Amino acid sequence: MKRTTIPFGPQHPVLPEPIVLDLVLEDEKVVDAIPTIGYIHRGLEMMVERVEYTEMGLVVERICGICSFMHGMGYCVSLESIMNVEVPERARWLRLIWAEISRVQSHLLWLGLGADAFGFENLFMHCWRMREEILDIFEKTTGGRIIHSVNRIGGVKRDISDGELAAILAQLQGLGAAFKETARVFGTDPSIRHRLSGVGVLSTEEARAVDAVGPMARASGIAMDTRLSGTYMYDQIEFEPVVETAGDCLARVLVRLREVEQSIDIIRQAVEKMPKGEGQAIETKVRGLPTGEAFTRLEQPRGEVVYYVKANGTKNLERFRARTPTFANIPAMIKLVKGSDLADVPQIILTIDPCISCTER
Amino acid sequence: MEREIFLARVRDYNEAGWRLALINVTTVMPVGAPGHGAAHPATPAPEPAAEAGLPGAGADASADGPGAFEIAWGFARDGQFETIRERIVAGEAVPSVSEFFGAAFLYENEIRELFGIDVTGVGVDLKGQLYKTATKVPFSHAAVKARLAALAAAAPGKRR
Repeated sequence: MKRTTIPFGPQHPVLPEPIVLDLVLEDEKVVDAIPTIGYIHRGLEMMVERVEYTEMGLVVERICGICSFMHGMGYCVSLESIMNVEVPERARWLRLIWAEISRVQSHLLWLGLGADAFGFENLFMHCWRMREEILDIFEKTTGGRIIHSVNRIGGVKRDISDGELAAILAQLQGLGAAFKETARVFGTDPSIRHRLSGVGVLSTEEARAVDAVGPMARASGIAMDTRLSGTYMYDQIEFEPVVETAGDCLARVLVRLREVEQSIDIIRQAVEKMPKGEGQAIETKVRGLPTGEAFTRLEQPRGEVVYYVKANGTKNLERFRARTPTFANIPAMIKLVKGSDLADVPQIILTIDPCISCTER
Repeated sequence: MEREIFLARVRDYNEAGWRLALINVTTVMPVGAPGHGAAHPATPAPEPAAEAGLPGAGADASADGPGAFEIAWGFARDGQFETIRERIVAGEAVPSVSEFFGAAFLYENEIRELFGIDVTGVGVDLKGQLYKTATKVPFSHAAVKARLAALAAAAPGKRR
């Protein structure tokens, strides 16, 4: 059969960021997909050559405007591991809370984009209106809505008072209650189900074969979540990974819907368990130059991220590397697109929640 | 490390239920070159990285040498993370692990394009199409050396 190649991207209505997939078609079926990235490759990893390690965290945070807090956190955790820095307990709890707020923000953003892509504009607006509340919380607690710059090697720059934490928790729980109606529409609307159910199915075996991570893996029945490995304060939190088994586009939506509620509950537990009282230490002063290397893994909203940092006792790191979750999920994306109908490609790509800024660094 | 031994170790990780979490490359500059950091001997890797590999016997980062690359294949299983390490001379090829880990092709295409390392037998060869970068092979020794020299010239004595 005659083959046709169609470039999908770099500009496309469902793509907030540029990626190209050269789709090779036989009739309406995709038989091959060749990715090209690099349109927003900024060479941030290369900047270790000229930015000192103490300032590099601010650069790392700019890898992505959605996971910015967790990128900064991952960098600082890596350096703290190398330099054997004990981070004060309250700072560790605060990092956990901000990380989970980031997850809620990221999922709401994605749910809005998803709704917009399959024609539910009001649903999109509801999701983004709720996301604005989250950004308000970020602005109030860190000073920044997108780039927070609150992480420091050794802790965090700002504390949140017990009173503010209680107010934030109440606000999040109110948002969670309102979100139930939005989640109901996503989960039960017949048009959404018809558009997403059975589309882009990644079986458990296939997800394992391509090393999928995050909601992508969990929607395919793999109970994988880096937070479960007991890192940071998550060992003191009771939660189970959100798992769906259908492996289709709808399952990936359902996982993220439930994770919004789960993150709010994790924040509730953190607020209850963290030590109370004003004036507690939130930062350990760090002196000297780092020597050594560390791998750090965190669970970002899109899945596992791996940071590698190598320091040689100078002001500049020898190597910084971030393997982001979207990078890890590109093989899964290609796997899903191959064999799909051309009309389903936008939904499939979107439900991976691709972040190209993260992928390219 | 011998190719067969290396691939056998990768296969063992695959069969034991580990997944490929990362392939990382670090450009090692020749001794004495800017950015080498030779005045600060490297320390062993701290936890959580558990090293499972050995440095390659052929690695050469001497003053007149072409420089070397440190490659780490990172494997994750639940809370565990381990690496196989290899150090190769610039120009030396490494075998693909796509046979055991389907997602490896993306990392392998990346290190080909960004570091100029020849990876043999890549599962899906993207033929240099993955990244669009202003500098070709931006982490090659020549590219790193040129950038560090430019930085040193721009601000003598400030860096390192």
